[in-house]
Amino acid sequence: MRVLVVEDERKTATFIRKALLAESFAVDVSHNGAEALTLATKTPFDAIVLDIMLPGQDGLSVLRQLREQKDATPILLLSARGQVDERVEGLNAGADDYLPKPFALAELIARVRSLGRRRTSEAKPAQLRVADLTLDTNTRQAHRGGNSFELTTREYRLLEFLMHSAGRICSRMMILEQVWEYHFDPGTNLVDVYIKRLREKIDDGFEAKLLHTVRGTGYVLKEP
Amino acid sequence: MTIRARLTLWYAVILFVSVLVITGLSYREFDHDRTMDEHFRGRYGEYDAWEDLAEITLSLGLPAALIGLAGGWWLMRKAMSPVSALTDAAARVHEGNLREQLPRSGNGDELDRLTAVFNAMTARLDSSFNRIREFTLHASHELKTPLTVLRGELETALRDQAHDPAERERLLSQLDEIERLTVIVDGLSLLTKADAGLITLKQEPVRLDELVRESHADALILARPRAVRVELERCEEISVRGDRHRLRQLLLNLTDNAIKYNRPDGTVTMSLCRVNGHAELKIANTGAGIPAELQPRVFDRFFRADPSHGDAVEGCGLGLSIAQWIAGAHGGTIELISEPEKLTTATVRLPAGESAAAPVVQRRNNSAAESANRIPAVVS
Repeated sequence: MRVLVVEDERKTATFIRKALLAESFAVDVSHNGAEALTLATKTPFDAIVLDIMLPGQDGLSVLRQLREQKDATPILLLSARGQVDERVEGLNAGADDYLPKPFALAELIARVRSLGRRRTSEAKPAQLRVADLTLDTNTRQAHRGGNSFELTTREYRLLEFLMHSAGRICSRMMILEQVWEYHFDPGTNLVDVYIKRLREKIDDGFEAKLLHTVRGTGYVLKEP
Repeated sequence: MTIRARLTLWYAVILFVSVLVITGLSYREFDHDRTMDEHFRGRYGEYDAWEDLAEITLSLGLPAALIGLAGGWWLMRKAMSPVSALTDAAARVHEGNLREQLPRSGNGDELDRLTAVFNAMTARLDSSFNRIREFTLHASHELKTPLTVLRGELETALRDQAHDPAERERLLSQLDEIERLTVIVDGLSLLTKADAGLITLKQEPVRLDELVRESHADALILARPRAVRVELERCEEISVRGDRHRLRQLLLNLTDNAIKYNRPDGTVTMSLCRVNGHAELKIANTGAGIPAELQPRVFDRFFRADPSHGDAVEGCGLGLSIAQWIAGAHGGTIELISEPEKLTTATVRLPAGESAAAPVVQRRNNSAAESANRIPAVVS
């Protein structure tokens, strides 16, 4: 997967590049909008990480120009201003996702990955499975080791999201967005408490733990 | 006593004294004349100047004095009316309308100069307020870039597995602090933008009772580790016009506070009812509460009732300020009344929509449609 990172702040560009390289992406870096536009039209990228604040031509106008040229490359916007309005503006202009600064690296990686996957749209399977844990998306029933669990609506959506991204780290923010539809940090430990509850249901009494905490980042549901 | 009344009174005293003096002098003059012209007495008989004088004083002097008094009262009013206007205008001045200037008469008199000085003062205040706002806006924005770099590099360091556990622990604890700082910077940036009127809110029908039920469910989970009971006492069907996400944020902030600042085994009581065309939401808790003298300050930014246990309860100190902004931006109010050690109640009043079940806006992924129907936020 080949990713273009457009970020004028050199240090930020460097650690994003490093992190994406470590995840075996191919990474190109550009420090200004005009150059990014030429690069993007010449080379087919699988995803573009685009900072909004750029010298000269800003990220939003790069995005608009690409979309005008019928370029549908998935774009993740980055912004230090980070407000709901800007997020809406970006998504309306044709961005696929928006990430306010400062962000967690794992979060950036997870989002870039899901952008790449978006192209090959996958249908939701009727049953999700991670090790011996299964979740039926029609009946909303979860089973593990012959036990079935009662899940509240919220718990179901949380488990569904975690199982859907099994093996990948889900940041608190991604969970808040997907499960609660919060696009702001509520400044509470809501996610942590729900995870704890969910863990009591699916992991307590089992030798192999499936739901793990990645400190400072989020959670991951994975095969033991 | 007003300046006007005082000046008129002095005026009356001066008028009275001058009438007395004039009468006295006139009497002396008459008396003198009489002794000079003794032969008049023979011609006109006994003549009592004092009686005449008293009559003239009463019939002419007194009405003149009364007219003078009334005129003085009127003159005072005329002179003081620009001052009254200035007083009313000064009373209306607050943080939000400093740009308004008082109309000047332009004749260069004392009051015109006073108005000019007053206008200059509010203009200076306005520019100071603006500078503070801009400063906070820039500060919160400028802080984000170094925070991004700091966080990114810290995480990159953490990814290298070469570190020993102690080193890892140190880095992780730094990461926690960066997260805390991020929450503060985000909150500050939100409030500063709200102050500057830069945030637009959606205006759509929102079923408040559904949001309350939802947040009750969340609160039940949040309260469990602290063994706090959460009760939903009443939940009438009410819809309001506003921004769904912001209203959820408001509810979450208040329920989270009610749980965090409760005592273990305490109770949180939530209720939503319609009162005089308003949706009235109450969230009460049985925590230590806030002493009466500190209650007016609970919505201040970074306010903490008890600074000594600042770290025991996590939070950025901006939650209630944000809640107040959200309530205000929806044309509502928020208040917090606390009987320490008994009951602390946060009450939010929002203008309620029509009571018939409003169309429920069910949205799962509404990101792209969010720009529709936006209204400019009103800064409370």
